[in-house]
Amino acid sequence: MSTVLTAPLPAAARVGPRLSRVVKGSVGVLALLAAWQLSVPLVGLGPYFYPAPSDVVVAFADLVRKGILPVYFADSMARYFAGLAAGALLGVGLGTLIGLSPVVSRALTPLLRFLFAIVEVAWIPIFVIWFGYGVKTIVLALVYVVFFPVLYNTLLGVRTAPQILVNALRSLGASPLQVLRHAILPAALPSIITGLRVGAGFAFRGLVFAEIVAAKTGIGYLIFEGTQTQQTARTIVGMIIMGLTWLALDVCYLRPLERATVQRWGLTVDAERRT
Amino acid sequence: MLRLPVLATAVIIALLATYWSIAQITASRRLASLEPLEARGSYRITLDFAPERFHQVRLQEAGRLVEVRGSTVYMKDVTPAALRGIAAEYWVRDVARWNGS
Repeated sequence: MSTVLTAPLPAAARVGPRLSRVVKGSVGVLALLAAWQLSVPLVGLGPYFYPAPSDVVVAFADLVRKGILPVYFADSMARYFAGLAAGALLGVGLGTLIGLSPVVSRALTPLLRFLFAIVEVAWIPIFVIWFGYGVKTIVLALVYVVFFPVLYNTLLGVRTAPQILVNALRSLGASPLQVLRHAILPAALPSIITGLRVGAGFAFRGLVFAEIVAAKTGIGYLIFEGTQTQQTARTIVGMIIMGLTWLALDVCYLRPLERATVQRWGLTVDAERRT
Repeated sequence: MLRLPVLATAVIIALLATYWSIAQITASRRLASLEPLEARGSYRITLDFAPERFHQVRLQEAGRLVEVRGSTVYMKDVTPAALRGIAAEYWVRDVARWNGS
């Protein structure tokens, strides 16, 4: 009897709750859309000040028809993933180094703490002076945004790796590289993935700001350009695209990756449920 | 466990490949009557709408933008590769030769 109760549900049985969750989640969105549409005649302002959802749908269709949205979206995503990848690599590399070497830690920690306090917004004008408007400045700003959460989470993961495993491997004659590969990095991986997820979220916000300041294409630029050209509906399209893209990235990539990491090198059930 | 990321990536790749293939086929069809293309030709690019700044910038990357009349853009010094790139855009309705005056 207990076997039956603890057995995992078949895929078909899991569809029901999932569908119900989607339906419940959609209710809030639909209610917001209905309230928004109904409030437009009550507010009585023009589409420049207060566009209706229908205006936003028209603007979306127009942007797609004119080929603007696909190109802006592709540009934004290319910059985002370049910045995310570079920032994550740098963060994991340096975080591991600082976590393993007290000398490097002592040398770099004050500098990193100092830089951590300076938000990327402050760097962007400097990057524009150094690298001009465009891809380099935006990617660099994103690297900066992603770097710190990944670094600190990697550091945390490396420092909290079970010492008993490290000692056991060392006593069996493992080289430092083998200890890193078989004990420290697997133990740090859940923290690294969490840092990556946090960094990916920060980078998304950073992307919009960087594109507003330093680009002539991209979703961030679309948001800015929409208000400049009195096409507020386009601005809202840009905002919705950003939100939906983040949701898709989180649901399709980041959350499964985090869950898989926690399960594989798994720490606690709570960590998994947290997502 | 990682079925969803793999599936999402496969869908994205399939969509991009389909889009790219359709764009190439469309470009070949649009340019069929203009072959052989000149090394640096003058062309009349017609869109379905009046071009915005985005389209003008995109077209300027392909050659010298001479004039915009309604939804038609007149261009000079367009290389065959650049013309193929323009013809592959789905927002371009027609590409025709222009005598340049």
